[in-house]
Amino acid sequence: MGSYLVQRFLLLIPTFVGVTLISFLIMRLAPGDPAELRAGGGLRGAGEGGLATEKRGVVDTAIAQWRAQYGLDKPLPVQYAVWMKNLFTLNFGESYKDNQPVVDKIRERLPVTIKLNLLSIFLVYLVAIPLGIYSATHSYSIGDQLTTLFAFVLFALPVVWLGTMAIVFLCGGDFWFIFPPGGLSSIDYSPDWPLWQRLKDQAWHLFLPVLMLSYAGFAGLSRYMRSGMLEQLRQDFVQTARSKGLPEGIVIYKHVLRNSLIPMVTILAGLLPGLIGGSVIVETIFSIPGLGQLGYEAVLARDFPVVMALFTVSALLTLLGILLSDLLLAMVDPRIAFGRRG
Amino acid sequence: MMAVRKLALVALLVTVAVGPASRSFGQAQPTPVTGDWLLAHILSDPEQLNPLTSNDAGASAILGYIVQTLLTRDPRTLELKPLLAEARPTIAADKLTYTFKIRKDAHFQDGRKLTGEDVLFSVKAIKNPLVNAPFARVYYESVTDAQLVDEHTIRFSIKEPYFLNETMLGGIEVLPRHYYDPQNLMKDVGIKDLADPAKLSDNAKKFAEQFNKNYSRNPMGSGPYKFQAWKTGQEVELVRDPKYWGIGKPGIDQAYFDRHRYRVINNPDAALTSLKSGSLDTMGLQPLQHMQQTGGDRFKKDFEKHEYFSPNYSYIGWNNDHPIFSDKRVRKAMTHLTDRKQMVKTILFNLGQVVDGPIYFHRPEYDKSLASIPYDPKKALELLAEAGWKDSDGDGILDKTIDGKKVPFRFEIKFNSGNTTRKSVALALQDELKKHGIGATVRELDWTVFLSEIKGRKYDAMILGWAMSVTEPDAYQVWHSSQAANKGSNHIAYKNPRVDKILEEYRREFDPKKRIELYREFQKILHDDQPYTFLFTPKSISAVSRRFRGVEVLPIGGLRPLDWWTPAGAQKYGSKPSNN
Repeated sequence: MGSYLVQRFLLLIPTFVGVTLISFLIMRLAPGDPAELRAGGGLRGAGEGGLATEKRGVVDTAIAQWRAQYGLDKPLPVQYAVWMKNLFTLNFGESYKDNQPVVDKIRERLPVTIKLNLLSIFLVYLVAIPLGIYSATHSYSIGDQLTTLFAFVLFALPVVWLGTMAIVFLCGGDFWFIFPPGGLSSIDYSPDWPLWQRLKDQAWHLFLPVLMLSYAGFAGLSRYMRSGMLEQLRQDFVQTARSKGLPEGIVIYKHVLRNSLIPMVTILAGLLPGLIGGSVIVETIFSIPGLGQLGYEAVLARDFPVVMALFTVSALLTLLGILLSDLLLAMVDPRIAFGRRG
Repeated sequence: MMAVRKLALVALLVTVAVGPASRSFGQAQPTPVTGDWLLAHILSDPEQLNPLTSNDAGASAILGYIVQTLLTRDPRTLELKPLLAEARPTIAADKLTYTFKIRKDAHFQDGRKLTGEDVLFSVKAIKNPLVNAPFARVYYESVTDAQLVDEHTIRFSIKEPYFLNETMLGGIEVLPRHYYDPQNLMKDVGIKDLADPAKLSDNAKKFAEQFNKNYSRNPMGSGPYKFQAWKTGQEVELVRDPKYWGIGKPGIDQAYFDRHRYRVINNPDAALTSLKSGSLDTMGLQPLQHMQQTGGDRFKKDFEKHEYFSPNYSYIGWNNDHPIFSDKRVRKAMTHLTDRKQMVKTILFNLGQVVDGPIYFHRPEYDKSLASIPYDPKKALELLAEAGWKDSDGDGILDKTIDGKKVPFRFEIKFNSGNTTRKSVALALQDELKKHGIGATVRELDWTVFLSEIKGRKYDAMILGWAMSVTEPDAYQVWHSSQAANKGSNHIAYKNPRVDKILEEYRREFDPKKRIELYREFQKILHDDQPYTFLFTPKSISAVSRRFRGVEVLPIGGLRPLDWWTPAGAQKYGSKPSNN
């Protein structure tokens, strides 16, 4: 297993370089110059930041300065090399927007995104596994059909629409006021509040965003669960267990369930990059300052260092996720062996 | 633009009154009291809060409460009046020297006295070529020198006479030197030393580096509100400075709310819901929200809606170098084919007004005698025929022989993606033109791409907008022929020698009456040339909580939250101490 691990790790390196190179090229070959954009009054510059020609000289100087400061005046391969070199020292550079280190920007937003996504993954599993079990054990019954239908209807509902509906109807507009319409804490929030009150406030604010982030996942995961279980139920050992006279509960929950959880574990590892990727849509609807929002704004503003940092981190997590799922699979499934057969 | 923003407290809120403007003047007003909070809405974080290097409108609004200028403008009359200066400056006869006396009683939010040294430092900071403030620097380029006469007197030397120089100098935002330059690195650097970036001293370089990097999120000044906190993506919070130097001083702005909290809500639907549920006190409403979602009795009980013009206009720019649009008869025909009244009705939901020139219609320079060009397809076709456009080959598209080649009347309208108003205008025009044998295609482009194509004049027609000045306008930058070169703002390449002359003379004219005359003529020429098809000026609508007093649309337009207050009995947040 040791040599297999080394092999896998070594393979990660070219893959990682490839991913960053492609990201870098896509970002740079897309039209739009951050220095010009900045000179034009930033992203939301009203109208067009037009400047008189004789004054244009000053702006051109500034743009040239920025380009030099950002290293944009160098040829692309050199820029990429510099970026790679900095990466080895874990230096992601500074944002073009306000000269703050990119690492700080990510650090500032990371906890929110992780919290949101961990809760959401938890919720998806919490709902989808029982749903899948029910569907499998009652396959082709009315109940199975209904839950499947329900899960797929949810899957088909766009989050933009459902999220907006939730805000309009549940968040204190002209209808009910059950949840806050966005943000992370109440107006009168105070760090001096007792723990339970702070937790309550958090839960109250995170409920709808987590739900919105999760509901579409119910369908997919419960289907995996269902098919996994059905496949197991058809196996000979189930027949054997049943003929031995084991009660149905033990057959299902001890033998079948454990085996059919294997794919669920590997899917979990695949969700890892999503942990920091965040969700642009949900974060935007609920005004949550997470990484999705950061990335979206950075792309629009051509804030290359921020974009590249986010690409890199999520590429790394994706690669690690794949590696992890392979390893997990080996751990839960004794039929898989690494390298030479033992 | 920077010059406007410099007189921030007035300028950013200035728009024009309609509807309930003439409310209760002269009536005895109760005395305002302090206390309560203002929860206002912003769509996104400011990019940064450095008074010099930030360049976005969101930051200007907030910084206007924190940092002050030498002069300001009366929010009602727009007259220049002193703020940190004792009086308006003494101007030398040759109009090249301006001397300001600075108030002796002003101090910064940390208690340190504000002196001429701070003013001098602020100018040097702007002029330092390595400071990320090229936009501000552009406006102060004509400042050739500044000297302290004594601790509270500063004298500026100016390159050439220009009637807006007083506004420009008066708009200097006075930054505390001891805070923004604690090591006093700029002490021995003179204004003249800053002219050449190549010869910059090490201290000036070091200052610029620190200034660009360390002051993005912690502004400080002498204004009525202090910066308190900025939670990224959540809110920016200001608190009233209880030791503000201007408290109780006549003619100086007072502040009443204990707190201003700018809540970042990037989804307009969520913002409206927040407003209704009480977690916002005021927000700008979108037209649809105004028409359909804010008419209920409950809403009317809690909020009042205020309607006013936003001083900007949209236009269709015709590339004046283009073989088709270089003929002014064609441009006129295009305006006749643009049903602007209908567009205001259907695209702006009647929240706007058709405009026919670049001068704001509430300015004295505005020429009311010019008739608006009506929607008139018949007249348009006559003009086109006169210009030689007819369907000679019967293919349904007008054509004309230009330079021996038959050219069909086909062109492309470009605009930036995401702007639904511009898209609707383009589509409506396309539809209309089709009926008359003109083939227009529309093209949406990403903002940055759009900008570079406009600047490179790679377009036939495009839809854009300009802000209009609510104070004395200066149209030089947009209309002077010299600005057509080198990616200047005259990106349609409009060239008229008489207009050039007017624009130049106007800038040197210190007599307001003569300036008005000059600009009346300028507007007549533009009207005849039709370089743009001017479209409309939109109206804005804001909802404001009814618990506030002092909320009024100013005679010259806009709302001014600095004047708002809540009677003691109605205060929602009282005078609670800070939680942060």
